[in-house]
Amino acid sequence: MKKKLVSLLLASAMVMASLAGCGQNGETGTEGETKQEETEKEDTGKEDAGEDEAKADKQEEEKPEDTPAAGSSGISGSDSAETVLKWAIWDLKTATYWQEVADAYTQAHPDVRIEMTDLGSADYDTVLSTELSGTGSEFDIVTIKDVPGYATLVSKGVLEPLDERIKADSLDLSLYNGTTEQLSVDGALYQLPFRSDFWILYYNKDLYDAANVEYPSNDMTIAQYDELVRSVAKAGFGDEQVYGSHYHTWRSAVQLFGILDGQHSITDGNYDFTKEYYEMVKKQEEDGICRSYVDTNASQLHYSAAFSEGNTATFNMGTWYITTLLSSLASGEYDSELCGNWGLAKYPHPEGVEAGTTLGQVTGLSIPTSSENKDAAWDFIKFAGGEEGAKIIAKTGTFPAIISDEVIDIITGLEGFPQDDATKEALKTTKIYLEAPYDENISQINTILDTYHKDIMNGDISIDEGIAKMNEEVGAIVK
Amino acid sequence: MEHVTDMKKSRKARERKRALVAYSFIAPNFIGFAVFTMIPILCAFALGFLHWDGNNAIQFAGLDNFKRLFSDTIFKASLKNTIIYCIGTVPLTMIASLALAIILNQKVKFRGFFRTVAFFPYVASLVAITAVWAMIFHPSKGPVNAILYYVFHVKNLPNWFGGSLIMVTLVLFSVWKYMGYYMVIYLAGLQGISAELYEAASLDGASTWQKFLYVTWPQLRPTTFFVTVMLTINCFKVYDIAIMLAGGGDGRLGTSSTVLVYYIYQKAFVEWDLGYSSAIAMVLFAMVLVITLIQFRGQKKYAGE
Repeated sequence: MKKKLVSLLLASAMVMASLAGCGQNGETGTEGETKQEETEKEDTGKEDAGEDEAKADKQEEEKPEDTPAAGSSGISGSDSAETVLKWAIWDLKTATYWQEVADAYTQAHPDVRIEMTDLGSADYDTVLSTELSGTGSEFDIVTIKDVPGYATLVSKGVLEPLDERIKADSLDLSLYNGTTEQLSVDGALYQLPFRSDFWILYYNKDLYDAANVEYPSNDMTIAQYDELVRSVAKAGFGDEQVYGSHYHTWRSAVQLFGILDGQHSITDGNYDFTKEYYEMVKKQEEDGICRSYVDTNASQLHYSAAFSEGNTATFNMGTWYITTLLSSLASGEYDSELCGNWGLAKYPHPEGVEAGTTLGQVTGLSIPTSSENKDAAWDFIKFAGGEEGAKIIAKTGTFPAIISDEVIDIITGLEGFPQDDATKEALKTTKIYLEAPYDENISQINTILDTYHKDIMNGDISIDEGIAKMNEEVGAIVK
Repeated sequence: MEHVTDMKKSRKARERKRALVAYSFIAPNFIGFAVFTMIPILCAFALGFLHWDGNNAIQFAGLDNFKRLFSDTIFKASLKNTIIYCIGTVPLTMIASLALAIILNQKVKFRGFFRTVAFFPYVASLVAITAVWAMIFHPSKGPVNAILYYVFHVKNLPNWFGGSLIMVTLVLFSVWKYMGYYMVIYLAGLQGISAELYEAASLDGASTWQKFLYVTWPQLRPTTFFVTVMLTINCFKVYDIAIMLAGGGDGRLGTSSTVLVYYIYQKAFVEWDLGYSSAIAMVLFAMVLVITLIQFRGQKKYAGE
């Protein structure tokens, strides 16, 4: 009996230890490597609101070597200032706009000093949410990185609602292209957007010229877009092949054409509306118009490589890629012979929807309830998220939340930016639908949709089956 | 009389002292184990019966988390994939590593070189070798599919990284990567077998096969036991290989390739549904425990013979 007990204990200890990674095996090392890779992917400030996991690779842009040390801090303003505002941010060293905005503000308000704390981008949400737990933190301003993180903090009740302050200062929320409505929780808004990114079409003018096809226009329906990319594609061997379009492996790149009509949202629990877009892309794959998902997935092709290879005529992606494109062309990392002659067009839209309607993500600023300088914090948030802040952010090559004509002039004035009017016009948006709007179950919904998106695109299950699964599984959550 | 009780007392005291010394030697390791392994695992047990997102107040969930498992198709898919992976990997790795060990235990030329070759995949970086596999099995540009197309005239080229084939790719990869490690263990086992036994078998006129069956295999039983237990546990932990081979650029898995540990990670650290993720972890734990116990029992039966 006793022996049996001993062996039972021995067995469970063995299992536990091994499962917990204490067993003698080589996997711990390799897991470490994967993790490392993931952290390296984290980068500048290109990531924000939107799908929680998607963000990890949307920042795959090129600066792995300067993964900044979390916990470092930046200071703006004089030591003798009366009010000190503490601001939670990430990637202080690689993203220059934090310091620029803070400096501009403290210059105009010498009585304020801003201290920035870099919590690191890799686990920003987790660290911030821990910081704000319990008795509260020292922070007066916190940056909201994405919608799932926002949902967590709101449900925790640690953010100050901003509606009264917005009303008192009569802030015009229409400047934010409709994003603030999608971030409101039961009618209350807890963050003011200060940065944004939205989806546009990138195109390679040389390939369009060679095919003798007119460039994508700034007012295309999705059907016209389908037709256009089909006309520019060219079958061929090796270098001769031209892909009319390219879709990155993210669900946003395919499925979310469906939410542009304003009638549907990914939080609805029914995804029948996405069917036609899956069909369109699958048909393009079949006809050799775009790379197949199976290939893109197997070669782990990064979207920047897909476009810079010079055989992709049109490509839907977020505005964060503009900065990469500009800097990589300038540094010679991308061959300007292959992709140097590029242009932008507005995102294609469903029939009957205004041009300039697109998908996007935002990064916002909030005040924690525990802050002792709420009024001063609000004054800064109003500045950073307002039109003045927008101009300062734009100068660093990043898209602010308010995209005024002046902001567009600043961005199109960046060195290397195409100077044709159509491209400049492409940056004007009328309505931005968030890739992930606020919903208390948003991360759970994302996991389910991403899983079946992969199955559909991989061809493991049919489009109908995949959508039926999405409906069933998400339907059970949202009810 | 008094003298005897005194003796007894002092012996007891001595024993206690000796025990204390022994405990103090175990203490550093055991405290570490308790703080970093034991307590978190016990907490995970408790979490399985709670609702917790890491921030808000903890709520008692009863069996809710476990009931949810039955209707969760992604969980069922990941469970199925993990089991298929284990059933494929454990016996194949064992056979491959034993065969390699037997061959490389003989006096062949360049023995050391071949041993290194077999061990190499185990020490090579997972990221690097998965990249190589991704190229070799690439659906449209890889040499494997090129051979299928040009030599065997296969029209519908298989996608090795999706559908039902991804599990085959994962098993093959894992066998190839880990057989070197288990080969070393088997080699040690083989070298522990006394040459006298083979001599005696030869004198009795045993063939090579009979020598393997009646000398090598029974003598290797403790090694085989260790290898199967470690292999099973490691197989159930599969995560990194699936992410690297099937995850594409963004490390996301569909239902054809998802595995339990990946789903646990998703639920815990992406969705912050710690209770539910602990419930899944408990399922994994229970499975591994049951299988290990069966293996222990089997081992004891043989040992008793």
